[in-house]
Amino acid sequence: MTFNIIGFILPEITIAFGICTVILVNSLSKKASIGLIHSLILFFLVLALFFSFVSLEIPDRIIFNGHYMIDSFGTNLKIIALIAAILVHLTSVKSKQNIKNEIFLVQLFATLGVLILCSAHNLLTVYLGLETLTLSMYGIVASNRSSVDATESAMKFFILGAIASAIFLYGISILYGVTGTLSLDSLKELVIISSLEIRIAVAFIACGIIFKFGAFPFHSWVPDSYQGSNTTAAIYISSVPKLGAFALISRLFLDALNAMSEFWSVLILSAGLFSIIIGNLIALMQINLRRMLAYSAIGHIGFVLLSFSIVSDTGVSASLTYLLMYLIMTIAAFGLIESIASEDHQHIELSDLKGLSKSHPSVAFMLLFCMFSMVGIPPFIGFYAKWMVLSELIYNDWIWLAIIGVIMSVIAAYFYLRVVWFMYFENADQPIENKGLKNTQSITTLLLSLMLFLIGLYPNPIIDYTRIIISSFLLID
Amino acid sequence: MVGLIMLFINEKHSSIVYWVSVISSLLIFGLSLYALSLFDDSGSAIQFELNTSWIERFNINYHLGVDGISFPLILLTTFITPIVLFTARTSNKTNLHQYLASFLILEGLMIGVFSALDAFLFYVFWEAMLIPMFIIIGVWGGKNRVYATIKFFLYTFLGSVFMLIAIIYLYISTGSYSIFDFYNLDLSRIEQVLIFLAFLFAFAVKIPMWPVHTWLPDAHVEAPTGGSVILAAILLKMGGYGLLRFSLPITPDASNELSQIMVVLSLIAIIYIGMVALSQTDMKKLIAYSSVAHMGFVTLGTFVVFLNHENISSDNMTLAISGSMIQMVSHGLISGALFLCIGVMYDRIHSREIDDYGGVALSMPKFAGLMVFFALANAALPGTSGFVGEVLVIFASLKVNFWIAFLSGSTLIIGAAYTLWMIKRVIFGQITNEKISDIDDLNVTEFIPLMILAVMVIAMGIYPEPLMKLMHDSLIGLSETVIKGAGL
Repeated sequence: MTFNIIGFILPEITIAFGICTVILVNSLSKKASIGLIHSLILFFLVLALFFSFVSLEIPDRIIFNGHYMIDSFGTNLKIIALIAAILVHLTSVKSKQNIKNEIFLVQLFATLGVLILCSAHNLLTVYLGLETLTLSMYGIVASNRSSVDATESAMKFFILGAIASAIFLYGISILYGVTGTLSLDSLKELVIISSLEIRIAVAFIACGIIFKFGAFPFHSWVPDSYQGSNTTAAIYISSVPKLGAFALISRLFLDALNAMSEFWSVLILSAGLFSIIIGNLIALMQINLRRMLAYSAIGHIGFVLLSFSIVSDTGVSASLTYLLMYLIMTIAAFGLIESIASEDHQHIELSDLKGLSKSHPSVAFMLLFCMFSMVGIPPFIGFYAKWMVLSELIYNDWIWLAIIGVIMSVIAAYFYLRVVWFMYFENADQPIENKGLKNTQSITTLLLSLMLFLIGLYPNPIIDYTRIIISSFLLID
Repeated sequence: MVGLIMLFINEKHSSIVYWVSVISSLLIFGLSLYALSLFDDSGSAIQFELNTSWIERFNINYHLGVDGISFPLILLTTFITPIVLFTARTSNKTNLHQYLASFLILEGLMIGVFSALDAFLFYVFWEAMLIPMFIIIGVWGGKNRVYATIKFFLYTFLGSVFMLIAIIYLYISTGSYSIFDFYNLDLSRIEQVLIFLAFLFAFAVKIPMWPVHTWLPDAHVEAPTGGSVILAAILLKMGGYGLLRFSLPITPDASNELSQIMVVLSLIAIIYIGMVALSQTDMKKLIAYSSVAHMGFVTLGTFVVFLNHENISSDNMTLAISGSMIQMVSHGLISGALFLCIGVMYDRIHSREIDDYGGVALSMPKFAGLMVFFALANAALPGTSGFVGEVLVIFASLKVNFWIAFLSGSTLIIGAAYTLWMIKRVIFGQITNEKISDIDDLNVTEFIPLMILAVMVIAMGIYPEPLMKLMHDSLIGLSETVIKGAGL
């Protein structure tokens, strides 16, 4: 019996076991080769991915006294998160001196948090997963210990994050006080009418979720932590945790608090709308590439939230599609930026990109793909993401939101194009002296850039996949 | 028709790549000629149809096909592209292979735009085209290229996102992205007006109509010669094509109601922009403004028949629209040729200022002859293709209202004024700039394309019948749909 239960959570167990192994190897042999540790991490991630695929076969069930839910929605999100984590791991450069091995270990912790969030079925488990994720994220941002910027941004992130967690926890406790239960299932049965208390609780929980997404009005940590830390950290915090946030919002809002959907959809909608506006407008003024991408990420997340707030299966699946495509774009873009950032030159500014098309033609060409994809120009995937969200908005008679969305994408086009402009239209005063892409990195970024284009030519698989995930999730209701 | 083009990214031998791309573009032209021989111009049916499912969930099909409206423009595309590629080597370019690859990709996308019968697919081609054009202007353009190319991109992108919203709206109303399903849709008046405006926004930027034309002079001036040629010859035609393919049949009532505004805008483009062209000192800018003025005829021809409801019939409408179509094709040939001419001069003197020239005829007699010919054609000299299109549109306007015809006819004078004045200052007169006295006349690579274009312009001017016949039935079909739709 016990073994059976463990069998259901093999992915999580694998990651946890991986964490222990890496800690042991790292501490026992001081001179353990970096390569060994990285292959270990990669091995455990792939193993966990394999177990997740296996557990797709398991029929839905709730284990650990209602604390944990194994369903195809959670498992599919786990698969996506693990794939994203593997890609992130592969794109990160490992040989840099100022990047310690710990960062990859902490990333494993964060991934574990995301996996727990995907399956959490009780407010306590939700909080457990959330904090595992958040605390590791502080660690990831702070991992560049020698840098003042990194420490500062980690500190800011920690303070804001602690407040957000507290608010979230406060929301949970109000909910518990009103309903007397922590289980999502019973919450769903008990929360039918919207009383003031529940509204307050939902608003507090929404604050926590919006913070995790890094959307307006709790977005201020995003640019700081992207810019302050190193690119390796930025790749991770820009990608995998968003999936955790998506799992969180789906489990809590879409499933358990569905009765309150009229209330929370307004909150999410306004957060999304303002994220699109604020993110894209502020990104216009940025000259630091990572900071610019941070604001652009806020804009993208705005689209995800906007589409989520429609609260229909098509709307939510458009939202998940946008998120997946955002992940592909963002991992590719950060991977490419990482490849041109040298050790003592972590802050890549726009002017550093001058002449990149001459010195690193392949990097420039792939970054061109990413940028046009982020603008939303077909045939790249970013277009399909935007198009699906716009379709959903128009379908629900929110044409004005769609118009604001497209106008903001046109404004956003300017700063993405500026990257292309500096890469292709300007000549370098001082060419970047860097080897450029390194083995695994080159393969991964190439793969991702190809995906940007090929999925753009034939987007069916992703569109259908997200649709299946979401409809299977909503059928459980 | 297959719109797929191979991509040459290998940086091996630029000359091999050069010939491969020229030959492949010629092959595509050959293919389109072969298609022309198979094309049945009786009836307005879609031919060479290719329809496979693309994104099932949203009922999007990879649906291509041509009719008499799109076919002339496809021929124009496949005709101009080899010329552009052929002349690519005349001026020194870095990364020639990328330059050629951009043009080939562009060609594939342009053919895609003209042959897409699925609105989603149309939009994909329409937008994807921005990428190679952005790169072409930005990388190989002139001094102020970054400003020009970003302006071009943002203008066009802003216009087309509204079209995307309209297309999605139409999809939600019909449950399909097929353009023909859109035709049968019954839309309320307010919906029609909004959809019309959304499409107009996209097409007006592309055509470009006054007052959203300001990107064009910048883009033209800064673009490399080939970029200017493609821009003037084909990209601008997409707007006119879009009006015929989308605006008129999908929103006939709105086209009818807003036709006055459209006609006024067209007349402003024809007269005011013609005046603006008079005062230009930069040759490329002058031709760019003259493009705007000439494209004013296209929009005029498209909408003028709506003004007189008593006289409206599918014949009259076909007359006017075929005037627009011929104007589009002929403007494609003539403006393309003029930009090539300016490119030839620029390669020698490195200036586009009219004041830097003078007496070119003395040192480049062959070139001067061709340039004068194209300038005259641009001023709609009878016997050239420019004349046919403008006269047809003026005829059609005459049936509607004398004053519209009068005003539009005044372009013949203004057009003659600005082109001939430019010619006088550039080609004739004394040699003022010493450099001009020692430049060479046209070499073979420059001469052949210009000669072919000149032959085409004359052929179309003297005997436009085949082209008219090619599109006649499709235009009749279109006019009937529109007139029935507008309930006139």
